[in-house]
Amino acid sequence: MIGEVSHFFSILASGLFFLSFVFSIRTYSGNHNLEVLVSRVFSYGFSFILISFLLYVWLAIQSDFSIRYIAEHSNKDLPTFYKISSIWSAHEGSMFLWILFLAGWSQLFNYSLSKNDLLKAPAIGVLAFIIFGFLIFLLFTSNPFETILPIAPTNGADINPVLQDPALVIHPPFLYLGYVGFVIAFAYNTAFLIKGDMQINWESVIRSWSLAAWILLTIGISLGSWWAYYELGWGGYWFWDPVENVALMPWLAGTALIHSLYVSSRSKVLRGWTILLSISVFSLSLFGAFIVRSGIIDSVHAFANDPQRGLYLLAFSAVLITSSLTFYVYRLPQLVSKNLVVAKSKESFLTINNILFAAAIFAVMLGVMYPLIFDYLYDERISVGPPYYNTIFAPLTFLASAFLVFSVGSLWQRSSKLFFLKSFLSMSIIFALIVTMFSVYFYQEYQWWFIGGIFSGFLILIRYFFLIVDSFMKKNYFNKSSATAHIGLGVLILATTLNAALSYEKIINIKPGETYKGDAYEFFLIDFDLINESNYDSVQAKFSVKPIDSPKEVFFMFPEKRKYFIRGQITSESAIKITPLKDIYMTLGDQLESGYWVVNIQYNFLIRWIWIAAAIMCFGGFTALIERLRKS
Amino acid sequence: MKNLLRFFILIIPIGGILFFYNILTEDKFYPGASFKNTSVPQFELLSLQSKSPLINDDLNNEMLLNVWASWCITCRIEHGFLMKLKSEGITITGLNYKDEASDAIDWLNLYGNPYNYNLHDLKGSLALDMGVTGAPETFLIKNGVVLVHYSGEVNQAIWDKVFLPIIQDNEMFK
Amino acid sequence: MNKIRKKRLVSVLALVSTSFLGVFLILSALNSNLDYFYTPSELMEVEIPQNKRVKLGGMVEKNSVVRNGTNITFNITDYQETISVSFNGVVPDLFKEGSGIVAYGKLINNRLVAENIFAKHDENYMPPSIEISS
Repeated sequence: MIGEVSHFFSILASGLFFLSFVFSIRTYSGNHNLEVLVSRVFSYGFSFILISFLLYVWLAIQSDFSIRYIAEHSNKDLPTFYKISSIWSAHEGSMFLWILFLAGWSQLFNYSLSKNDLLKAPAIGVLAFIIFGFLIFLLFTSNPFETILPIAPTNGADINPVLQDPALVIHPPFLYLGYVGFVIAFAYNTAFLIKGDMQINWESVIRSWSLAAWILLTIGISLGSWWAYYELGWGGYWFWDPVENVALMPWLAGTALIHSLYVSSRSKVLRGWTILLSISVFSLSLFGAFIVRSGIIDSVHAFANDPQRGLYLLAFSAVLITSSLTFYVYRLPQLVSKNLVVAKSKESFLTINNILFAAAIFAVMLGVMYPLIFDYLYDERISVGPPYYNTIFAPLTFLASAFLVFSVGSLWQRSSKLFFLKSFLSMSIIFALIVTMFSVYFYQEYQWWFIGGIFSGFLILIRYFFLIVDSFMKKNYFNKSSATAHIGLGVLILATTLNAALSYEKIINIKPGETYKGDAYEFFLIDFDLINESNYDSVQAKFSVKPIDSPKEVFFMFPEKRKYFIRGQITSESAIKITPLKDIYMTLGDQLESGYWVVNIQYNFLIRWIWIAAAIMCFGGFTALIERLRKS
Repeated sequence: MKNLLRFFILIIPIGGILFFYNILTEDKFYPGASFKNTSVPQFELLSLQSKSPLINDDLNNEMLLNVWASWCITCRIEHGFLMKLKSEGITITGLNYKDEASDAIDWLNLYGNPYNYNLHDLKGSLALDMGVTGAPETFLIKNGVVLVHYSGEVNQAIWDKVFLPIIQDNEMFK
Repeated sequence: MNKIRKKRLVSVLALVSTSFLGVFLILSALNSNLDYFYTPSELMEVEIPQNKRVKLGGMVEKNSVVRNGTNITFNITDYQETISVSFNGVVPDLFKEGSGIVAYGKLINNRLVAENIFAKHDENYMPPSIEISS
C-alpha cells in the first residue's frame, strides 16, 4: 500500500517537473507571468519527490519485502542504519538517491535565487528537464517500486557483511552530493547560452554553488579512498580503477572550474574556458553514471545491467551534452573577450592551469576509453594500469606546482617581475632545492618522480610560508582560503611522494610463541583467539609489538580472519597501528599445515597525511565559501 | 568557413556517443552470458524429491539447467518466467544449490514447480565444476554439451537476445 | 601583420605545438603501459615474450592449491586449458577454489609468477554457507 503511494508520488513529481520545464520554454520570449509558475511548480515537484523518497525509507525500515529491491538488498536482522543505507547499495535505489539530491540542490537554488534574476526561470527549466529525464529512466528501466506478489518473501536477501561499514555507507551520498551539485552551474550556464545576453553576470551566481559542490565531492572521494585503504587489505589508497577514474574526472574539471571562475569574475577573461569547464563537470558526471551503470566496464564494482539501461542513459546524456555544447559553440565568438591575457599576470598563470587540468582530464579519459576502443577494434582485452597514470600525473603536477608558485604574488592584469634576486620566489626555489638535495641524499632515492615530488611539495609550502609571514608583518591582505587550500596541495604532493618512495611490506611465516624481528619493531605472536559472534566466527591473532628504539612502549595488534555464516564469506580484518609518520598494517593470511601462519606486515609512510591534506584543501574551500556567502 | 570551424569540436562527443551506441547494440553485449562449448562435468547427485541417484546419462538431450535456491530472492523473481517456459514445453532441470532439501521442497510447493526434477547439490560441487558463482544461473545444454552459460536472472528480454538465437541455430526444442 | 595579430599567432602556434607534443607524450606513455588480458586458452595460443607482464583470468582449479611457507601455487582454468600460477604473499579474501580471479605477472617457464592477485566480486549472487569440511 505505502509502496504504491510512494510510487504514485514519484510519478506525480515527474509530471510536475515536466510541466515546469514546458513553462520555462515560454519564458525565453519574455513571458514574465510564467516565471513565477515555473518556480512554484518546481517546488511542488520537489516536495513530491521528497515525500516519495521518505515513504521509501519507511518501507525499508519496516522491511517491506513485497518490494523487490528491498527484498534483494535488505534483511530483517540489519540494524536500522543499514536498512536505510541498503537503499543506495545497488543501482535502482542509488539512482533514486541521485535524483533526490538533484531535486534537493535545485530546490535550494530555486528558493534562494532572487526572482528578479533574468536567468532564473530558464535555469529552473533546464533543471526540471534533467530531473524529469532521470525520473523517466528510473520509473521505466530501473523501477525501485517493483513488487514481488502475491506472496512476499518472509525475509530479505542474505546480507553482504562488507556492505555494513559506516564509511562505505556515507561515501556514496557525499559523492552524489558533489557530482550533482555541479548541475546548478551547468543549468545556469546553459540557460545563459540559450538566452544569449552577454551582459548577465553569471559568474557571481554560480561561484558559491560550484565551491560547495567541490567541497562535497572532495570529501566523497577521500572517504572512498580511506575506506578502500582499511577495508580491502592492500594498504593502497588509490587504484586507478575505471570507476575511481570516472569520479576523478569531474573533480579535476571542478577544481579547474572554481579557479577559472575566479578569473572570469574578476577580469572578464577566460569566460569561454569557464563555461566550457562548467559544462564539462556535469557532462563528466553523466559520463561516469553511464559507464558505471551500463555494464560496459567490467570493473570490480560496476553494477551489472542490461543494455536497455545503458542505451537510455546514453541517449539522455547525449541530448544534454550535445545540446549544451552546441549552444556553447554557437555563442563562443561573443564569449571570447576582446582583452588579451597579459603575460606573467595572474590570469596567464591560471590560463596555463586550465590547460594543465585539461591535459590531465584528457589523459584519464584516454586511459578509461582505450581498453574499450581496443577491444572494439581488435577484439583483445587490455587494461591500463597505475604506471600509465602515475607517469602522466607526476609531471603535470610538478608543472602545475611551478605555475602555482609563480602565481603567488603575481598581479591581476599586469605583468610582474618574477625572478629578481631577492624575490620570495627565488628564495623559495633555493630553499626547496636544498631540502630536496638533502632528502635525496638522506633517503638514497634518485628517481625522477621522487625529486620532482619533494621539490614541488616543498616549493609550495615554502613559498606560502613566506607569503604568510610577510603579509603578517606588513599587515597586508592575502587570500587565506587560497593559501590554506594550496598548502593542503603541497602536503598532498609530499605525502603521496614519500608514501610511494618509503612504504614497503614484509611477508612472514610465524607460529604462536615466536618473534619476528623487523627493522624498527619486534612482533611477538602471543596466541590465537577463537571468537564467536552472532553472525560470524573469527580467528584473531594477538600480537604484541615492541618498538626497538623505545622498548617500554609496547602495543598490541589483532589481525583477524572472519567467516560469516550466512554467506560462507571469509573476510580479513586488518590490524592498523597509527603512528605520526606511518601506519603499521597487518593482514592475516592462511594457516599452513605445519601450524605456521602467513602474515603480511606493511609500513605505509605518511598515508594519514594524504587524507589530512584533503581535509586541509576542503577547509580552504570551506572558508572561501563562507566568505563569499558573507559578501552576498 | 572560419565561422563554422568551431562546430567541429562537436565531433568529439558525437563520436563518443556513436561508439558507445555501437557497443551497446552489439549482439554479444550481454554481461553475464558466455558461449563456450564445454561438456557437463561428471556428477553423481541425488534427486531432490525422490532421493534416487542421478548421473550425467540421466540428463535430457535438450534442456535448461537452472541453478536456484530457496534463499535466493532473485530466483523468486525469475520463477514466473521459468513457469512460462515450462508451459511452452521447454524442459527445465533444477540444480538446487547449497540449499536444505526441506527448504527447497517447501519453496516448490509454495510457489510452483517448473522443473522436471532437481539435482540436489548441497555442497555445490557440481556447481563449482561448472563455474557457478551464485544464483540464479542458467545453462542451455544439448547432448551433454553446455552451449550457453548465463549468470543472472533470465527474463523475456534475456531469453530472446541470448538464448533464442542459439536455440534456433541448433534447432532445439522443436 | 600588426603586433597584436603577431602575438596572437605566436601564442596559438605555441599552444598547438605544445598540445601536439603533450598528446604525443601521453599516447606513448599509454602504449608502453598496456597490460594484455588472457584466459588460459588464449594464453596457450599466443607467443608471450618472457619478460612481459600479462593478466591471466579464470577460475581457481579444484584441488590445485598448494601452500609452501609464504608461497602459494595453484592452477587457473577456463575449463578448457589450465595454467600454473605461483604467488608470494597473502591472497585476497575472496580467493578460494572455484572463485574467479585475475593474476598479474610475468610468464616464466610456462608458469605465471604473479605479482598481484585480484579476486572477482560477485555482488548479487552469493550462496550461504552450509558446513563444508575445509
